[in-house]
Amino acid sequence: MAEQDTTRASQRVYTLNLGPQHPSTHGVLRVLLDLDGEYIVKADPVIGYGHRGHEKMGENRQYRQFLPNTSRMDYLSGMLFNHGFVLAVEKLAGIQVPERAKYIRVIASELNRISSHLLWFGTYLLDLGGFTPFLYAFDDREQILDILDSVSGSRLTYSYCRFGGVSRDIDSKFIDMTRAFLKRMEKRWADYDGLVTKNIIFIRRTRDVGVIDAELARRYGVTGPNLRACGVAFDVRRSEPYEVYDRFEFEVPTGSRGDALDRYSVRFMEMRQSCRIIAQALDHLPQGDFMAGKVPQKLAPPRGEVYSAFESARGLSAYYLVSDGGPGPYRCHIRVPSFGNLNVLNDVLPGTLVADAISILGSIDVVIPEIDR
Amino acid sequence: MAKKVREQGAPLVQFALLDRVLNLARANSLWPMTFGLACCAIEMMAAGASRFDLDRFGAGVFRPSPRQSDVMIVAGTIARKMAPAIKMLWDQMPSPKWCIAMGNCAISGGPFEYDEQYAIVPGAHLIVPVDIVIPGCPPRPEALIQGILALEDKITGGERKNVLRRFKRISEALN
Amino acid sequence: MKVKDIEGVMRSKFPDAPLHMDESGLTGALWSMAVPISGIRDAAGAFDAAGFFLESITALDFEDTFELVYHFNCYEPMSRVVVRVLCGHGQVPPSICDIYRGAVWLEREVHDFFGIEFSGNPDMRPLLLPEDADYHPLRKTFGKVGAYHKREVIYG
Repeated sequence: MAEQDTTRASQRVYTLNLGPQHPSTHGVLRVLLDLDGEYIVKADPVIGYGHRGHEKMGENRQYRQFLPNTSRMDYLSGMLFNHGFVLAVEKLAGIQVPERAKYIRVIASELNRISSHLLWFGTYLLDLGGFTPFLYAFDDREQILDILDSVSGSRLTYSYCRFGGVSRDIDSKFIDMTRAFLKRMEKRWADYDGLVTKNIIFIRRTRDVGVIDAELARRYGVTGPNLRACGVAFDVRRSEPYEVYDRFEFEVPTGSRGDALDRYSVRFMEMRQSCRIIAQALDHLPQGDFMAGKVPQKLAPPRGEVYSAFESARGLSAYYLVSDGGPGPYRCHIRVPSFGNLNVLNDVLPGTLVADAISILGSIDVVIPEIDR
Repeated sequence: MAKKVREQGAPLVQFALLDRVLNLARANSLWPMTFGLACCAIEMMAAGASRFDLDRFGAGVFRPSPRQSDVMIVAGTIARKMAPAIKMLWDQMPSPKWCIAMGNCAISGGPFEYDEQYAIVPGAHLIVPVDIVIPGCPPRPEALIQGILALEDKITGGERKNVLRRFKRISEALN
Repeated sequence: MKVKDIEGVMRSKFPDAPLHMDESGLTGALWSMAVPISGIRDAAGAFDAAGFFLESITALDFEDTFELVYHFNCYEPMSRVVVRVLCGHGQVPPSICDIYRGAVWLEREVHDFFGIEFSGNPDMRPLLLPEDADYHPLRKTFGKVGAYHKREVIYG
C-alpha cells in the first residue's frame, strides 16, 4: 500500500486494498483503489484468488468426469452450467435427448436462475446494510433447494443433467412442490416490493449509481442483466434458442438508464418471467423417457469443435470444446459472463465514492470463482 | 508423590473453575470470521440465514475483521495465490482462536486435487492448525452446525460440561 | 442483417483468406475465417465499426503452432462469427485492446495460460496466476497432459 505524492500537497492519492478477504458475498475479489479522499481515481480489480485450474482439468478428464467441475465454476447457477455442458457434449457426440428430459432440464434451470437471483438480492441488500431481505430471500431460496434436492440429491452443486437426459425422473411430489412454490412466490413479490423496491434509502443508494451505457458495455463484452439494464434486449434464450425455450412465451425485461436500480429491476422481472416459463413447462410436460437409451459410458465424439452458448444467471456463457476423437476434450474453454462484467468496472468506478463502489460491485453480480475458473 | 510438571504452553497460573466458566462463555459465543472462498461459502451463509439459524448457538455474528473473531471457517478451495493471505489473516486473529476446515477442498483439496495440480493448496491444515473438519461437497448447513457444536465440545471439554446448551439429543429427551 | 454485411466486408478485406460456412451449427457460428496474423487488427476494426462485441479470445496449443480463436457476436439473433489466427510458438501477435477495451483482460488470460505475448497491450501482468508465476499451465508441455497433436490431426 503506497502513498504517492503528486505535485500539489492537497492532492494526495492513497492506494487502498479492498479484499481479498471481503464480507464474503462475491468470493475472493481484490480491488486496488486509488483514492483521493473518498473519491476513486483509479480502480484495478485483481483476480486469481480462486483459480483452481478447471480448464487444465478438463483436458485431463473424460467428458463425464468433468461433470462435477461444471457446477463448481459458477456455483450459484450450478444447474445452468451443468445443463450447458451436457448440451455442448450432446451436440458434439450427436446424442438425441427425449422431449420430457428437455422440459425437465428447463424447469430445473429456471428454478436455479430464480435461486441465484434471490441470493444476489439478499446479499446485495446485506452489502447495502439491510439485514432483513437477506433472511426473506434465503427462506424462499430454501424452498427451491428443497425441490432440487428431492430430485438430484444435492443443494448447491448438481450433476443432475447427464448426457442424453437427466439422472432421475421427476415425480408428482416434485411437480406439487414446484406448483406450491410458484403460488407462494406470487404473494412474495408484493412483500419484496414493499420491503425494498419502494424503500427510499435503497432508491437513493442505487438510482444513478454506476451507470453503464450501452457502448461501454459493448466494448467490454458485458452480457446478461447488466446489459439488459442498459436497454439492449439481448438474451441467449431468445437469440439462439436451445432446448425448448422457443416454445415458451416470456419477455426479456430491459431497463433504460443502466444504473444499479435498473439492474435490480431487471433481475426482479426476470425472476417473474422464469416463474412464467416454469408454469408453462409444467403445463406442457410430455410423458416419455427421461434419458436417451444407449448412451455409452465412455464417449468418443468425432474430431472437431463445438461452441455451445447458454444464458446463465449472469449472462451469456458458453462451452468451447475441441475434440480429437479421444475420451476427453483436447481443449475445454469456458466463456464466463462475469469476466466482462467485472472488467467494465475499470471504467465505471473512477469518479465514484467508495460507498458507491460497494453498491456497484454488488449490483454487477459477479461470482469470482467463475472468472478465475 | 509425583511432581506436577507444567505442560508446555499452559498458563503459569491456572484457575480451574474460572477457566471452565471462560470456556463456557467462549464456546457459546463463537464469532466466526467470514472467510468464504468458494461454493462452501454459500452453505455457510445458508447456515447463518433463517432456516438453519446459527444465532441460536451464539455463532451467528459473522465478523469481517479477523481481529474481532474467534473462529476462522475456511470454506472453499485454497488457491495458491490466496494461501499467503490465509496465513496473514490467521496471524491477525487474537488468541484464543480456532479453525474449522469446511468442505472437502479445505480438508484435502477435494475434487480439484490430482497428482499434477498446479493451482491449489490441498488442505487448510498445510497453512493453519485445524481443529475441526467438516467433510462434504458442499456440506449441508446441518453439517456445519454439527461441526460448530463439536468445536464447542472441544472447548468446554464435553457436552456434559456445557451447561448453557439448552437442548438435548432426542434419545436423551425421550429417556 | 449485420452478420451478412460483415461477411461482405471481411471477404473484401481478406480475399485470399479461407472462409468456412458452418452448416452443422456445431461451432455455434455462422462462418469462421482464418486471418493472417497481420490482419487481426484490421478485422477487429471492421467488427467494431459494425457494432459487434468481442465474446471471447482463447488459444489452442498444437505441436506445430498456436491458434488464436476470436469469437465475435452482435445483439441480433444467430450472429456469432469466428476469426482464427495461426500464431507460431514464439510469434507475437498484435493486441486489439485499443479497439476493444475488454481485450486487455482476455489477452492477459491467454498470456497467462499459453505464454503468448501481445504487442501493444499495456498490461501484461498475470491475471489468474500468482504474480510471481513463471509457468504457463495450459501449454501441452506443462503438467499432466492427455494428448498433444499437430493441428491437422483435429482440423484436417
